[in-house]
Amino acid sequence: MTESEFATLATHVHDARKPLNRISMQAELVKMALNGDVPAERAMDALDKIIASTKACSESLTTMMSELGDSQTD
Amino acid sequence: MLTVLLVDDDPEFTDVACTIIEFLGHEVLTAANLAEARDWLTKETFDHVLLDFMLPDGSGAHLFDELDVLPKRPRVTLITGHPSVKGIIKGLCGPNIDYLVKPIQREEIEAVLTGKKDQKKQQSGPKITRHFGHLIGESTPMKELYKLIERVSRTSANVMLLGESGVGKEVVAAAIHEASDAEGPYIATNCGAFSKELIGSELFGHEKGAFTGAVGRKAGVFEQSENGTLFLDEITEMPIDMQPNLLRVLENKVVIRVGGTKAIPVNCRVVSATNRSMEEIAESKVLREDIYFRLAVFPITIPPLRERKEDIPLLATYFIDELNKENGTNFIWEDTQLDTLKAYDWPGNVRELRHFVHRAAIMSDPEGSDIELPKTIESPFAKKQSTTPALQAGRTIEDVEKELIYATLEKVNGNKTLAAEMLGISTKTLYNRLHAYGDLSKDE
Repeated sequence: MTESEFATLATHVHDARKPLNRISMQAELVKMALNGDVPAERAMDALDKIIASTKACSESLTTMMSELGDSQTD
Repeated sequence: MLTVLLVDDDPEFTDVACTIIEFLGHEVLTAANLAEARDWLTKETFDHVLLDFMLPDGSGAHLFDELDVLPKRPRVTLITGHPSVKGIIKGLCGPNIDYLVKPIQREEIEAVLTGKKDQKKQQSGPKITRHFGHLIGESTPMKELYKLIERVSRTSANVMLLGESGVGKEVVAAAIHEASDAEGPYIATNCGAFSKELIGSELFGHEKGAFTGAVGRKAGVFEQSENGTLFLDEITEMPIDMQPNLLRVLENKVVIRVGGTKAIPVNCRVVSATNRSMEEIAESKVLREDIYFRLAVFPITIPPLRERKEDIPLLATYFIDELNKENGTNFIWEDTQLDTLKAYDWPGNVRELRHFVHRAAIMSDPEGSDIELPKTIESPFAKKQSTTPALQAGRTIEDVEKELIYATLEKVNGNKTLAAEMLGISTKTLYNRLHAYGDLSKDE
C-alpha cells in the first residue's frame, strides 16, 4: 500500500467511525429512555437515527471500496 | 456541578452527548470548531473541556496553548477516533490528560467528568526512588550493585551481567546505559532468539542480496548502537560456531556485514547477560573462553530477590502504583500482605513478583482499594527447581544409578518390565538392584 492510499484509507475509516460513534451515543439515549431518565419518545427518535447511521456507515464503506478499487486498477 | 465545554463537529453526537452530560448534572456548552471554542473561552469559565482531536479548522491540540494561559485551566479530555493517536498525544502533552476513544459510551463520559483517575494520584504514597532511572531497592546488595554500576559507567569497559532468571538483567543494562551518559542509543537484542542463520545478520547487518530474503541493506545491532550501549541477552545461548565472528568484532572493533566486504568501525559498550553461573559457563563450554574475557571485563552478579527481601515491599508498592496509574484503580497494600510477600522465596525473582502483583490486581475489585491475594503463592518453576537434583561431582555412580532407577519407576508407575526397558537393562538386573536397595521382599 502506498502512502497516499493509506491516507485515503485513513480518511475513510474516520468517516466510517463517525456514524458508529453516533450509534453508540443514540443507544445510550435509548437506555436512558427505557430507564425513564428522558422522555420515552426520544427513544423512538434515537432508534430511527441509529438505523440512519448504519446506512451512512455502510455507504462510507462502499465509497471506500470503490475508491480504493479505482486506485488498484490505475 | 461542572461547567463543560464540548467541542466536536458532529451535531448529532454533541446533541446526544449534551443530553447525557446534562443528565449527569452538569452544565454544558458546545462548539463545532476551534473558532467557536475560542469564543466561548473568552466568555465563560469552564471546569472541563471535551475536545475532539480532528476539527474542521484544525486539530484540537491547537487549543492547548490558549488553555494554558487561562486564569483557571480547565481539565482537558481529548476525543479521538483512533486509539493510536493516544500515544502521539501523550508525547505531545504529557501523561496528565484523559482520552475518550470513539465510539464513546456514557460510562466513559461519566468517568472522565468525575475525574476518577484524579483522586488516585493524590493518594500515591512517598515517592520510590528509581536509581539510574530504572532500579528499585535500598537493600545492602542493591547499594553494592549501584556502586558497581557507577564505577563501571565511568569507563567504557564491557560488562557481563550474571544472575538468575527474572532478577532484572535487562533493567540493569539500561541503568548502566543511563549512568554512562552515552551519546548513542541503547539497543537490546536476544542472542537466544535467532536461528544460526539469522544471528549474523542481526548482529553485523547484511548487504542487499546477501541471502534469500535480504531484499535491502540492513545495519546490525553493533552499528545501530554506535557510541551507545549494546545489550546482548542470553549470550550463552549463542551458537558456538558464531562466536569467533563476535570475537573478531570485539577485538578489532570493526564489523563486516553479511555479504559485504567493507569493514565498518564500531564503537559501543557491550553489556551481555546470562542466567548461568560463572562455574556453569566454564564447565558447559557454552561460551568460548576468549569471548568470555572480552565480554566480562567487568562481571556484575545481580542478587536474587530472596537475598534482598527488604526490597520486596518497595517493589510490590511500585508495581501496584504503576498498575493503578495504568488502570485508574486505587489499590493499596496492607502491611500484613507485604509481610506475606516478604516471606516467600520468589524463585522467579522480580519478574515473578511483578506478575504476581499484576494477577492480584486483576483478581481484586477495581472499585475498592483492597488487594485480593491468592491463598498460596506458587510458581510452576519453583517445584521444578527443587525436584531436579543437579548432577554434581562428588556423588557415586551407585548413588546416581539408584536415583535414576527410582525416577524411572515413578515415571512408569512402578511397572518393572517397562522400567527395565527404558533403563536398557534386563528385568532380572532391575530386580537384583531393587533387592540390593532392600526394596523388595525375597519372594517377589
